[in-house]
Amino acid sequence: MMNRHENDIGRIIEMTRELPSRLKPFQEMLLANLVMIGEIPASTFHEQNRVKFLVQRFTECGLQNCSTDEFGNGIAILPGKDHKKTILLVAHVDTSFDNRVDHTYTVNARHVIGPGSGDNSLGVAVLATLPTLLSKLGIQLQSDILMLGATSFREQGNLEGLRSFLANQHTDLGFGISIEGVPLGRLGYHSMATMGGEIVCKFDTNHEHRPGAIHVLNRVIHRLCRFADDPLNDATLTLGTVEGGASYKVPARSATLRFLFKSDRDEIIQETTEEIRKIIQTVQGETDCWIDLEVFAKCRAGGLDPSHPLIQQSRRIIAGLGISPIESPHTTVISGFHEHGIPALCLGITTGEYINYPDEKVEIAPMVTGIAQLIGLLLAYDGGCCDEHK
Amino acid sequence: MMEDVVTNINEWLDTNTFHHRQFWDLLNLIEVKERQGLTISLCIPTLNEEETIGKEIVVLKSELVDRYPLLDEIAVIDSGSMDRTLQMAANFGADVYLSADIFPEMGFNRGKGENLWKAIYQLKGDIIVYVDADIKNIHPRFVYGLVAPLIYRPEIKYVKAFYDRPLALSNEIRPSGGGRVTEILVRPLFSLFFPELTAIIQPLSGEYAVRRTVLEQIPFPVGYGVETSHLIDVYSRWGLESFAQTDLDRRVHRHQSTRDLGRMAFGILRAFLKRIRAHEIVSGMPELTTSLRQFQARGNEFEQIIYDIAEEERPPMIEQESYLKKRNLNN
Repeated sequence: MMNRHENDIGRIIEMTRELPSRLKPFQEMLLANLVMIGEIPASTFHEQNRVKFLVQRFTECGLQNCSTDEFGNGIAILPGKDHKKTILLVAHVDTSFDNRVDHTYTVNARHVIGPGSGDNSLGVAVLATLPTLLSKLGIQLQSDILMLGATSFREQGNLEGLRSFLANQHTDLGFGISIEGVPLGRLGYHSMATMGGEIVCKFDTNHEHRPGAIHVLNRVIHRLCRFADDPLNDATLTLGTVEGGASYKVPARSATLRFLFKSDRDEIIQETTEEIRKIIQTVQGETDCWIDLEVFAKCRAGGLDPSHPLIQQSRRIIAGLGISPIESPHTTVISGFHEHGIPALCLGITTGEYINYPDEKVEIAPMVTGIAQLIGLLLAYDGGCCDEHK
Repeated sequence: MMEDVVTNINEWLDTNTFHHRQFWDLLNLIEVKERQGLTISLCIPTLNEEETIGKEIVVLKSELVDRYPLLDEIAVIDSGSMDRTLQMAANFGADVYLSADIFPEMGFNRGKGENLWKAIYQLKGDIIVYVDADIKNIHPRFVYGLVAPLIYRPEIKYVKAFYDRPLALSNEIRPSGGGRVTEILVRPLFSLFFPELTAIIQPLSGEYAVRRTVLEQIPFPVGYGVETSHLIDVYSRWGLESFAQTDLDRRVHRHQSTRDLGRMAFGILRAFLKRIRAHEIVSGMPELTTSLRQFQARGNEFEQIIYDIAEEERPPMIEQESYLKKRNLNN
């Protein structure tokens, strides 16, 4: 059995190497979908127009069960030959940009440029284009592919679309792939335990003769950093954004910090959350500032072991295309799958720059390689090359 | 007389004004097109459009050639761009032509109208749809919204685009019409001399689809006056009922300075007056100058800038022996 699968994966890797040149004639289809999807604003919780377009594309491709579920996710099924296994392909449809931002895209010889192009309009475009590409290549899997354009994914969304879908669906999902626009070579299969949140410091009354909210927030940040730097502590801190104040002349009335704590273990994050609450209480006692903590993103640690056959074969497929796999210790989306016991990994499609800035851009040439690795992995799983040996 | 005009306009608005959403069913549109044996060419006239041309070709080719085969060719006809417009267009799969290389025995004028006229010679389609290259929010509707009335209604010959209709759900009332030159110059002129043409909401829009049998029979000013002259010439020959117009929703494009619009208005006015004279609507009109004088301030001084805007005109293509031969129309 081992030898047969070894032969099969060798053949799939060989075939995958040829895919970029076979996909090249259809590259414009992907670019057109990227532009049309990217130009539909889709901030978290406001993705309905983008999902509508995606479902329309699914319908045009002749997929089955094209619909929107009660959580706003766009869903369709690309049927396989024997329907014995189902693979879930997911791309989050939301971006980090407000819907009022100008979403006009530009295409030049090397790049597609526009807000959200890499994160994650390209991922959604791959979802929209893949059925056509597989058909043009004459590939039909044995397994069904369940396509999911997931809503409410980023930041406060906290993977809500994916989590709700997984909690309410009844298909036996054998394997999940999350498609991200960037970076090519990304191979995420594990999620750390995380806690993302927001701390708001606010004075309700006239505060002109006091230190402002930014001073108070600074105290909180100072203590958070001291806690994170403690060698006995296993959690790492990312200070994401800080906002506050109205003018340079007056003390700020309110100030907000957004942050993320990560750890290998769920209990550490639990303890960290308690510690943050204590810090807030202490600073609140020292000032008369109202301070509030809102935890909006929580993930449990988990995922696949690096030695899992799925990961091993993914590495070989990616490397076979001349790319060095970028293995990340933390990929948030894996947590959503892990909670439901579904093996999953996350792939990137191309290289990009200025991600989450308005001039975000993705490189065109590597996209066919990114899709080739995805198809290679689908074939490997479909052919049983990624099964765990009992 | 005026009542007839109002009646005609109202009837025409009812029957010949469309919204692109009416034509969402592209498979049906293509089926009807193929049943009629029609071919359709897209012409994009360009001059230094590298910023927008790539996206325009990618979206229109992918959607309307590869996915839904509505278009039989996509051609860029360029006036001599100094940037990478041509490479970009060719890179993404458009046929690319230099205007000067088409029908070279007729020479070359720089201007959008020249490129549109040369397109009749170069392109193959029974219908030619012209779409400007500076549209930032390009979408397939810019093409199918314009060709669909020609496919579904054989009596329609010329379809113009218009944009930015007030939202039906909004209580706000906004003027819906053309840009500054349309509202200040063209609409008043049409009201005075060709009142039925005021039914066309955006007479200067750069997007339109036309049957070859019409295009080859009308002259083409090479510059700014081409849209206005087309409307007058087609109207004079085939009447208002030969036109249709389609709402294409929003169009995002470059903003032009008032000074540029002044030059545009001058070219349009020259083309317009030429037709007024040809139709003997006014008599005793003096020879028209080709010079437009504008001023700019430098320090405490005003400087004069004189532009020569000749607005040459190309004759109907059907009169060209070479064209007749190329299309086997001699007999």
